[in-house]
This record gives sequence, C-alpha cells and structure tokens, in this order.
Amino acid sequence: MTVKSKKDVIVVGIGNVLMSDEGIGVHIARRLTETKERYPQVDFLDAGAAGLSLLHLIANRKKAIIIDCTKMGEEPGTMRRFGLDDIKSIKTLSGLSLHEADISRIVTLAKFLGQLPKEVVFFGIEPESLDPGQNLSKTLSDKIDSYITEICKELS
Amino acid sequence: MHKNVNIDVHHITRVEGHGNIVVNVTNGKIEKLQWQVPEAPRFFEAMVRGRSYEDIQTIVSRICGICSITHSLAATKAVENALGLQVTEQADKLRILMHYSEQIQSHTLHVGYLAAPDFLGAPSVVPLVARAGDVVKTVVRVHRIANEWSDLLAGRTTHPVTLRPGGLTRIPSEKQLKELQKTLKSAIPDLKAIADVVLSVAGNIPNFERDTEYVSLKQADPPTYTFYHGGITSNDHKGKPLPIDKWHEVTNEYVTEQSTAKWAKWHRDAYAVGALARFNNNAELLSPMGKNAAKMFGLKSGCCNPYMNTVAQLVECFHVVERSIELIDELLKKGLKDEKVTSTVKAGRGSGCVEAPRGILFHEYEFDKKGNCVAADICIPTNQNHANIQKDFEKLLPEILDQSESDIRLKLEMLVRSYDPCISCSTHYLDVQFVK
Repeated sequence: MTVKSKKDVIVVGIGNVLMSDEGIGVHIARRLTETKERYPQVDFLDAGAAGLSLLHLIANRKKAIIIDCTKMGEEPGTMRRFGLDDIKSIKTLSGLSLHEADISRIVTLAKFLGQLPKEVVFFGIEPESLDPGQNLSKTLSDKIDSYITEICKELS
Repeated sequence: MHKNVNIDVHHITRVEGHGNIVVNVTNGKIEKLQWQVPEAPRFFEAMVRGRSYEDIQTIVSRICGICSITHSLAATKAVENALGLQVTEQADKLRILMHYSEQIQSHTLHVGYLAAPDFLGAPSVVPLVARAGDVVKTVVRVHRIANEWSDLLAGRTTHPVTLRPGGLTRIPSEKQLKELQKTLKSAIPDLKAIADVVLSVAGNIPNFERDTEYVSLKQADPPTYTFYHGGITSNDHKGKPLPIDKWHEVTNEYVTEQSTAKWAKWHRDAYAVGALARFNNNAELLSPMGKNAAKMFGLKSGCCNPYMNTVAQLVECFHVVERSIELIDELLKKGLKDEKVTSTVKAGRGSGCVEAPRGILFHEYEFDKKGNCVAADICIPTNQNHANIQKDFEKLLPEILDQSESDIRLKLEMLVRSYDPCISCSTHYLDVQFVK
C-alpha cells in the first residue's frame, strides 16, 4: 500500500473538540495547517481523539511536536513546553478500556518499541473548562495567537 | 474461603467518572457487587440539534477516537433514511471496506494492547514489550496497516472526512485498491502469528459461562456475516430480524440506581453485544479463514463465555481481511467510477445502524423541512452491555470467592476488559507533574 510520504517533522494536535478546552490541540493544529506553505518539511495534523494511532503518526520522523490539553496545576491558559523526561504522568486510568488515552504513555510505548523520533516536544496547555461544548473558553481562545507564535519558534 | 473481600477499582475525574468495580464481602457474604458507570455520550445528542443534515456525521465522528468511522457511518445511514437518499452499489461497497478497516484497527488493539497483557501476565502493554517484544511489534504492524487502510478510504485515520449523505466525496484509485489488497494478503501471516500466540496462552482465559441473550445484526439477502446491513436479531428472537427503525423495541433502556448510564434489556433482564454476539448469530457465514480460526480455538456458536469475546474478535479479523480481499476484487471487476454526491432536503426521521467493533450501534435523527436536526438519539454498544456485565459479575463472584482477593480483582477486571467498554473516550488530556 502506498504510504503517504512522511515529512521529517510532524506537528500533532490531540484532543476532543466536543469538550471545550480538551480540543485545544486540535484547534491549534488547524490554525497551524494554514501556515504549511512556510514549512515544507513539516506535516501538520489534527489527530483528534486518535489515542494509540499517535504511535504510527510519529514513527519514522526526526521530530514530533505534540500539542495537547494538559493538567499541570498552572493557571488556566498557561502553555508549557516539555519533554517526556521532564514529566511523570499522574493520570488515573482504570485500565479497563482502550478508550482511555494517556498520550505520554503512548509515547513511552513508542520509545520501548524503538520507534520514537529523535526529538519529541510537548506543548501542554492548562484548560479552564472540560465541559461539553464546541467552543474554547475565552481564556484559551484569547491566547491562541500567542500559542501559535511560540510553537512556530520550534519550527524555525 | 475468604471471609472478607474489598475491591474498589474507583476513578473519578473532574470531567466524568470511569467504570468502577465495587465488591464488599463480609464473613463470606456478598454485601455489595456493582459495575458502576457514568453516562457517556448523551450530551452529544444536544450538540447536533439545530445543525444541518450535512454536518451530523462530522460532529458525531468526534464522539469516539476508536469508533469514529462507525459513528459516522451510523449517522450517515440515519440521515439517508430520514431524507430518503439512496447510495450506489460502489459507494456502499467502499463504505463497507472503510468500516472493515476500523474493525481491524479496534480488534488488533483490543487483542494486542488490552487482552494480551492479561493472557501473558503483564500489567500493561508497555512492560509486555520487554517480555514479548515480537508479539507487540506484530500487533503494531497490523494496527498500522489498518490505520493506513482507514486513511485511504476515510481520508483520515481517525474522524473520517469522505462520508456524505448520499455517497462519498472521494474514492481511492484502482491502483490504490490493488495495493491495499496486496497489503492485506501480506498481513495474513501476521494475523496467524498473533492467533498462535493467543492460542498458546488460551489456557489463561477463565472458564466461565453464563447463558444470556446475544444481539446483533443479521443479513439474509444475500446471506452475509454482516457489520453493516440487515436487521436486528438475537438467539432469543423468533422469526425475521427486526427492521432497524424498531431498535427502541430492542434496547428498552432503563435507569438503575447504581449507574447514571441507562441499561438495556430485550427478552431477558440483560443482553450482550459485540464480536461474540455477532459470532453466535452468524458463525455459519464466516469466511473460510474465519471458520478455521474459530475451529483452532474450539469456538462454536452458542458460546456463552464472555471472556471469549476476545477470541471472537480475532476470528473476525481473519474474516474481515479475507472478505475485504474479495470486496476489492468485486470493485475492481466492475471498475471504479467517479460519482457525484447529491442530496435533496425534506423533513423526516430516520434510524441508522451498524456494528461497532464492540457491538451494535444505533443512531436516530429527525430533521425539519430545511434539513436542520430537531431531535437525536444515540444508543452505543457499551450501554447495551452494562446490565450484562453486572449479571456476569453476579454469577462469577460466588464461583471464584475462594480465590485470593487479587485473583478475584483480576478476573473481574479481565471480564470488563473483554467487553472493552467505551467509558471515557471523550477526553485525552495529559495530567502531569514536572520532575525536572
């Protein structure tokens, strides 16, 4: 099967756009896709609630930038850049279902399988609301341009 | 026998609860035994109200990252039924091929990532890499093929974009279909390798049975092991399968005290949906490779061991790959044609049904004369399985009460995992502490 040609760098936005700020990664990925002409070596992807498929999206790349809603104990709207070794996951999973996703553990699995890009960068954004709804909170919505400016620095 | 057992697999997040398993046994007496679940996707129904019939499948595709194609297909079929739209034979076959890709995506994940650690005695798939790296890599390889397969037909790996009421907005080329067919043929040895591993540890599948009702789609014309067309049947149902628009007569949703999610019952106090239900109602229609896989595991129609759902999924993997190879031949034989998607608007109400990897899924919508949604109703397979899980618990626990608390807990968790409930897929956020 013809696999779509993969570029060296991928920017992946994760999240559920039906759960307000949970979808921030997807909102940012969609906005970044508009800049793709400026970054010919970069694939931009709204991965939505893809979960374990992230493994395949980042495989065989030199660099992966993952943008996701992240509870860090910061002020809502705060964005932090970090690597896998900078954090430990404290997400509670029941272990009963494939439907639970902890992106950091999926990236760890990629590492154990030897399929991790040389560089993996996370941009985590502290949510204000995780309630059902298709709009971002005003706090995050007002900051989306600044998030994009910051993430684009990673691409230059 | 243990005099006291206390198990509380309990998770509460800020957004929604997960499934909880609660067991309290005092002096050998079972005082509390509950499978507790929160309501999951009902609020999505409110989100589609007021939206155009053209947008529904896109919105509902975001309900779930594992079953996004399935939700989109159920919604698209419901919209088409409401508006009286027909699709061509070519679009129908391409949709089935798309749907098959999601069955393989989900089943391989379930067998490889969720069930294999149980069978191989690992706490999760990550430590399993060190112990059985080749197995995990084989599963990852098949899952990757399924993802690329979805990408080709649905336009994306997750959350399809090619589905529209009335047809498909984009079709693959004949060359791409031939390449897909070649890839599927090359995946068969990997599937066999996975089946061999599961067979080698099949002795770890708990030997537990509980007779229950199994509900699934059934298609008579032409006779097909169906995931997409047909009516609703069960091992208790007499006569022809029920038409899809009668689905409320099947689900009979009701409220219980222990769960905010509604439960379902048809002829008995609970029923099961999923791969084992499909197998039990359609086993004679499996492809030759699917039948061989079933034989290999001794899986026969009428099986009422819920842990065997995982084996039924594996059997379906063989069937789906073999049937997809044939389906591509049928499409290529006729030649692919570019088809325009057209639709006309009218007021109406319609239901759509497909088999999600974890069981039968119903969507229903009503539209006004402008084609805007005025009512929506979705019944996911997980909700239909909740009562059955509780009934399984009630038969299982007394049978294993002499085992250690950790073994009891493991068997209850494995039981839930065999159903792979969709209990928390609407959020994917990270929750971290900084260590540097």
